[in-house]
Amino acid sequence: MSKIPTLTNEYVAASEFADLALDIATTLLASGAHCGRITRNLNRMAKHWNLEVQMQLTFTGVVLTVTSEFDPQHTVTRYHNTPPHSVHLELLTEFSRLTWKVADGDLTFEEVKKETERIKKVNHYNYWCIAVAVGLSCACLCLLAGGNLTDAIIACVAAFAGSMIRVFILHHNFNPMISFVIASFVTTMIAGTDMMFRWGAAPETTLATAVLYLVPGVPLINSLIDLIEGYLSSAWNRALFGASILLCIAVGMTLSIALLGINNF
Amino acid sequence: MTIELIFRILLDFGLAFVVGFCWGILFGSPKRILWVAGLLGALGHSLRFILLQSGTGLIAATMISSVSIGLIGIYCAHKVHHPPVVFTMPACITMIPGLYAYRTMLGCIKLTDPAIVQHNPGIIGQIGYNLMLTMSLLFTLAIGISIAALLFRSKSVREISFRPKQKKL
Repeated sequence: MSKIPTLTNEYVAASEFADLALDIATTLLASGAHCGRITRNLNRMAKHWNLEVQMQLTFTGVVLTVTSEFDPQHTVTRYHNTPPHSVHLELLTEFSRLTWKVADGDLTFEEVKKETERIKKVNHYNYWCIAVAVGLSCACLCLLAGGNLTDAIIACVAAFAGSMIRVFILHHNFNPMISFVIASFVTTMIAGTDMMFRWGAAPETTLATAVLYLVPGVPLINSLIDLIEGYLSSAWNRALFGASILLCIAVGMTLSIALLGINNF
Repeated sequence: MTIELIFRILLDFGLAFVVGFCWGILFGSPKRILWVAGLLGALGHSLRFILLQSGTGLIAATMISSVSIGLIGIYCAHKVHHPPVVFTMPACITMIPGLYAYRTMLGCIKLTDPAIVQHNPGIIGQIGYNLMLTMSLLFTLAIGISIAALLFRSKSVREISFRPKQKKL
């Protein structure tokens, strides 16, 4: 049974759709979506415009092939690198809604393009706000891990300072990996004073929880989700990315622990 | 005794709420959804606290609570019209095994010093224990977040329905 073109769905050229899809896929990949989500979002849109998408998602770029369902000769393959990775879950919501709207037939292709541009410009929270949140959450994690109020306050200050310094370093366009090393170094230096002077009841918890804001939770968990869903290349890339950040945190902590004296720990 | 226990559970709930809320800010979840992330994190973490108090193992307790976060997250996603990852991710991160990861790392640093290794030969066993615990706990968190993909045949959460399907005539 051959498919009959429906008049309600507008005609979209495969090459134009490929550009849009690449834009969306790379943005989603950089803001912390797992591959299953990206594939579903794009397929949803492609189906509406009678196109077929096949894609290879790695952590650093996306290759995709778009084929027209009516005319298999009309096929495009494109590649694009991802922008720098920074977790921003709001974009996941926005793109998910956008693709559902397309699937329900509420938007034309031009409108989708405009919306994509708007979503890409959605701001993250203010860095002051993030630093305060980071401090508070590290303090609460410290309390949950068994520290007392003094430990929690030191963890809060350490995480706040580390977070601000990381923003400062990234603002000056240094290598992101160096920012992790320096942030974890500063945080551990401040949290290490608790260990040196024994201010709190459980100084170990201060050190362990103050650096938790640097832990690449999203890439590591996404890596396992990709592994479960069968996107092996992306899973390995994400795991490697997460592991290298962990290594950077460990290097920063090692430096400051060596400075403070390993026998104090 | 009982009142003290209830107080500790409530304290755990409150602290985990703040953690979930603040991780939501760090990950850039939408403003209107932050309280859901906090609430789910608090529910999961206090459930884990109760399970640990009643004698369940750490990994099993984390598994049960992260899977419950995942399942309640699917329900919430229908209510608030957001994809579940946006709030289950910060919620599950409240149970991140930070202390064990720290102990693994500290053990590895100590391994570079021959005097410490001679003094405490059991250190490799401790590192292995902490490393395996960290990795298993991370894996259980990932299972909790991707529970929708594992248990349901529908590809998208929006198509999952908890009501029994009506037979088509």
